[in-house]
Amino acid sequence: MFGKGLLQGLGITLKRMVGPNITEFYPEEKPNLPTRVRSSMGLDRNKCISCNMCAMACPNKVIKLTSEKDETTKKKVLKTYHMDVGRCLFCGMCAEVCPTKAITVTQEFENSIYEPEDLHWDMIARAERKGKVE
Amino acid sequence: METINNLLQTFNDLFLIIANAIRGLFADPHSVWANLTMDIINFIIVVIIVVLAALILILLERKIAGWTSQRTGPNRLGPRGWFQTIADALKLMGKEDVTPAGADRLIFKIAPMIIFSLPMMTLAVIPYGKGMAPLDLDLGIFYFVAISSISTLAFLMAGWGSNNKYSLLGAMRAVAQMVSYEIPLLFSLLGVVMITQSFNLGVIVEAQSTIPFIVLQPLAFVIFIIAGLAELNRAPFDLVEADQEVVAGPFTEYTGLRWGLFFLGEYGNMTAMAALGATVFLGGWQGPLILPGFVWFFMKTGIIIFFMMWVRWTFPRIRIDHLMKLAWKILLPLAILNILLTGLGIYIVRFVMGG
Repeated sequence: MFGKGLLQGLGITLKRMVGPNITEFYPEEKPNLPTRVRSSMGLDRNKCISCNMCAMACPNKVIKLTSEKDETTKKKVLKTYHMDVGRCLFCGMCAEVCPTKAITVTQEFENSIYEPEDLHWDMIARAERKGKVE
Repeated sequence: METINNLLQTFNDLFLIIANAIRGLFADPHSVWANLTMDIINFIIVVIIVVLAALILILLERKIAGWTSQRTGPNRLGPRGWFQTIADALKLMGKEDVTPAGADRLIFKIAPMIIFSLPMMTLAVIPYGKGMAPLDLDLGIFYFVAISSISTLAFLMAGWGSNNKYSLLGAMRAVAQMVSYEIPLLFSLLGVVMITQSFNLGVIVEAQSTIPFIVLQPLAFVIFIIAGLAELNRAPFDLVEADQEVVAGPFTEYTGLRWGLFFLGEYGNMTAMAALGATVFLGGWQGPLILPGFVWFFMKTGIIIFFMMWVRWTFPRIRIDHLMKLAWKILLPLAILNILLTGLGIYIVRFVMGG
């Protein structure tokens, strides 16, 4: 009564005014993502044994990989590894099923592109490019 | 110490010295031509004050809106976003100027000009420092209130001329609200006038050399702030341009620079009302410390403007029947009570002093 609530409201907004801001200056400062965020995939080519389990586990048939047999060591060697990210859920089942942890879920989130063809990720090329940048 | 005092005194009278120097260029410093020149220069200064105030206040308002909701406000253009208004003004200038087909063209085009000219006319009687009123009118307060109430008419013209139902609704709200709140606003100023026995704003400031009138008239100051907010159509009394109800009220059909003129006028009127409050209740250019008078004046004006913005971003909009009830059933009786108490106080003081 008699404006007590009004004064209380003014007090709250003044506290907000002098208090810290919660704005994130995104392009200048990268946000700290929660640890459970799944927003991108990464491949370690040397760990991959081309077992094709990731492609089998994928619910949307995103992953397509080819391999060839090395004649000397009698082991399969990865040739190509493509992901159609436009259909990818980032559910992480491929990473879960991978016996050697070759494919992993990563937290890069700046995945926007200009052309729909760019949604077909060549994971080997991406891994090499990333190695060069770092 | 002597030199510092002299320097401060010079800084205090800086604008008077410049004015006298300009007058000195004429053969007779008080001839018609010298007066005319000074009037034109004063007019230009007042226009600059209005435009600068609008430029700064629009940005400040957005910053305060941001801070109250824990954001930073505009932060892209310039250092921490302080050039944002300039970009906005340029954008407004580039917009197409549309006049609706069914509009009453003359009234539609005159309304924003009237709104923009009012703060220039009202700010001209405010004393910015000792002897620094662009126009030293004996009927200062009277003139100020009379001129500022013309904005009601401009809102009605804009609303009628737009030929739009929302515009007309907003304009009718504006008339109802502003005519109602004019009365408590006037009556709250009357107490001060009774004490000083003068309408002249310069005399009122001189009378506050020992104690500002906010101490003698706290009730009048509260009424003045509330009625002033309503008179300026600012939140929580922004029923005139309530976006959720009547789009933008009388401004709905305006585009580009005409709309910009409304905006300039709104912030200019706000500056004028804050300047009046600072002059009448907070002691104008008088201050306890040795700072130049105009610094004190603009500091006090700034405090009142900040309070208005703070209130705007704190309270929700008032309902229209509550608005009318507040004006006629609460503020008006309180203002009359304040006049009665002031009269009694003056009588008692005279009786005790034996004057």
